[in-house]
Amino acid sequence: MAIITDSRTGPASRTRRPLTLDSMVRSALVVLFVVLMVVFILGPLLWLGVRAFAGNWTFPNLLPDDWTLRWWQVVINDGALGVAVQNSLFFAPLTVLVSAIICLPAAYAFARFDFPGRRFFLISLFATNAFPKMGLFVTLAALFYALNLMNTVLGILVVHVLGTVVFMTWIPAAAFAAVPRNLEEAARDAGASKLRVFASVTLPMALPGIIVAAVMSFLASFDEAQGTYLVGAPAFMTMPTQMYSLVLNYPTQVAAVFSILLAIPSVALMLAAHKHILGGQLAEGFQIK
Amino acid sequence: MTTTLHKPAELEPKVPPARIGRPKRLGQRAVGFFMALPPILLIALFIGFPIVLAFGFSIGLTGGLNHTIATIGQNVHEADAWWGTLAAYQEMFTNKRFLGDLLVTVIVTLVSTVTVLFLALGIGLYLKLKGGRMARLLSGLAIVPLFIPVVIASWAILTFYSGTGFLRSVFALFGLDFPVWAFTMVTVIIGSVWTSLPFAVLMVSSGLQSVPNAMIEAARDAGAGSLRTIVSVIVPMAAVPIIIATTFTAIGIVGSFTVPYFTGPNSPNMLGVDMSNYFSAFNQPQQSAVMAFTVFLIASGIAALYVWANFRSAKEQGKV
Repeated sequence: MAIITDSRTGPASRTRRPLTLDSMVRSALVVLFVVLMVVFILGPLLWLGVRAFAGNWTFPNLLPDDWTLRWWQVVINDGALGVAVQNSLFFAPLTVLVSAIICLPAAYAFARFDFPGRRFFLISLFATNAFPKMGLFVTLAALFYALNLMNTVLGILVVHVLGTVVFMTWIPAAAFAAVPRNLEEAARDAGASKLRVFASVTLPMALPGIIVAAVMSFLASFDEAQGTYLVGAPAFMTMPTQMYSLVLNYPTQVAAVFSILLAIPSVALMLAAHKHILGGQLAEGFQIK
Repeated sequence: MTTTLHKPAELEPKVPPARIGRPKRLGQRAVGFFMALPPILLIALFIGFPIVLAFGFSIGLTGGLNHTIATIGQNVHEADAWWGTLAAYQEMFTNKRFLGDLLVTVIVTLVSTVTVLFLALGIGLYLKLKGGRMARLLSGLAIVPLFIPVVIASWAILTFYSGTGFLRSVFALFGLDFPVWAFTMVTVIIGSVWTSLPFAVLMVSSGLQSVPNAMIEAARDAGAGSLRTIVSVIVPMAAVPIIIATTFTAIGIVGSFTVPYFTGPNSPNMLGVDMSNYFSAFNQPQQSAVMAFTVFLIASGIAALYVWANFRSAKEQGKV
């Protein structure tokens, strides 16, 4: 596993070298890089995960002195944390639903119709991502004060939906565009109604893209912290905003337990959709066409 | 992209006669326009309009919808001319703390973006040119942060590099003293790179994968070395996805809040944190708005690059 020769890359144009010092140094460097990446990416997560089950932990030791489930008890019995979980589970599905209703027809229009202002529309959608989030929320706050949307469900919903618009429009648009037109036309010519064609040809073929968009939107809402904090705190605390106060006011082990709970939906959804995400649905969506 | 072209073949003969009955109608353009309108209206109402409003507020126009926030906020500069006043900008751009934070923001963004791009290109090229188990392991690893909420990631990274963190523990076991990186800009950069890596790797490697192998082999046959092939064939052909990855990474980092809030020092810190402090803790929304527009200015410079790259690719494909 450790030694990778380059016998597969090129055809006969390259002379095949045996294991020279040069290629061994190269393999060693690759292995070193992989090890560093493992520590860099996974290290913090494992270090945090262990903490959720740790009793006492003396400093230079790499493992805790004793193990306990006490911190899980603390989290389960804490009312405020329970409310945060409920709030998160309320806002995330609602956000996906509202965002889908607003954005999916637009995604279809971008993919299938040529209309005046199409390119301008696509670029204004990009504005939601081009402007840094915190700056947007600060400017949004002035309007929210005037409209009495501060500390309201509607206000938080607006913030969450804004964070999903790009995912919900671009990714499904790319998916709709990838459905071959002649396939739709063929179904039409075979006598299917427009709605029928959409429901049984276009939609199923674009579904992976829509699923990726829904997953990304759910997670965007589930993870949204800065805007919810600015607009909703302290009246509405979601799981991520609760983390802000948790880290300051509770033992680190409690925050570790809470982190694991907060990560479960993300990891589960991502694993379910990872094939499509890695398959290019996400990358495809981010190129304006 | 088009993998299922074989199916309509049997239906093909019926196409021409049926098509005559369906000319392209002008109504379709209208339908498209109105279908695309809702998200645009949402953005116009809750992003475009507030930006205009907040810009007015930042130059001291405190009437109308800005009245409430101007009343609540402290240290508000009011307009002394019909077009407003630059007093708030003047205050901030002579404020040492703000200037320090601005510098820190620019440095963190530059260093993190370059690091992310370097890693993403390295992993993407390795995947393209070598392939194999090690390459898949690397790209799989780089995607992991996509699975983890930023709040958790920031906190995990903070504890990992803290005084009692993993690195210090390992070094202490060998009797060595490793520096404490928690609450310094080093962890902010580490956290920014960690959270930005998946998107960049996805974009860059999907771009690199679409470079035809034949081109690479042709370059090699013509005698180009590995480095030459990468620099003058592979990277230019994947330029657009690489630019998209760069701009999104840079924009994400320049306005980031959670990572620097958790892992950074009290001062100087990035503008995202400072903005939130001025808004909530200090109750000085106008100063906060000035910071927001400073960040917008930086971001729109980066965004212009993105739009330009997309137009260039559209032009190459003959779509404009």
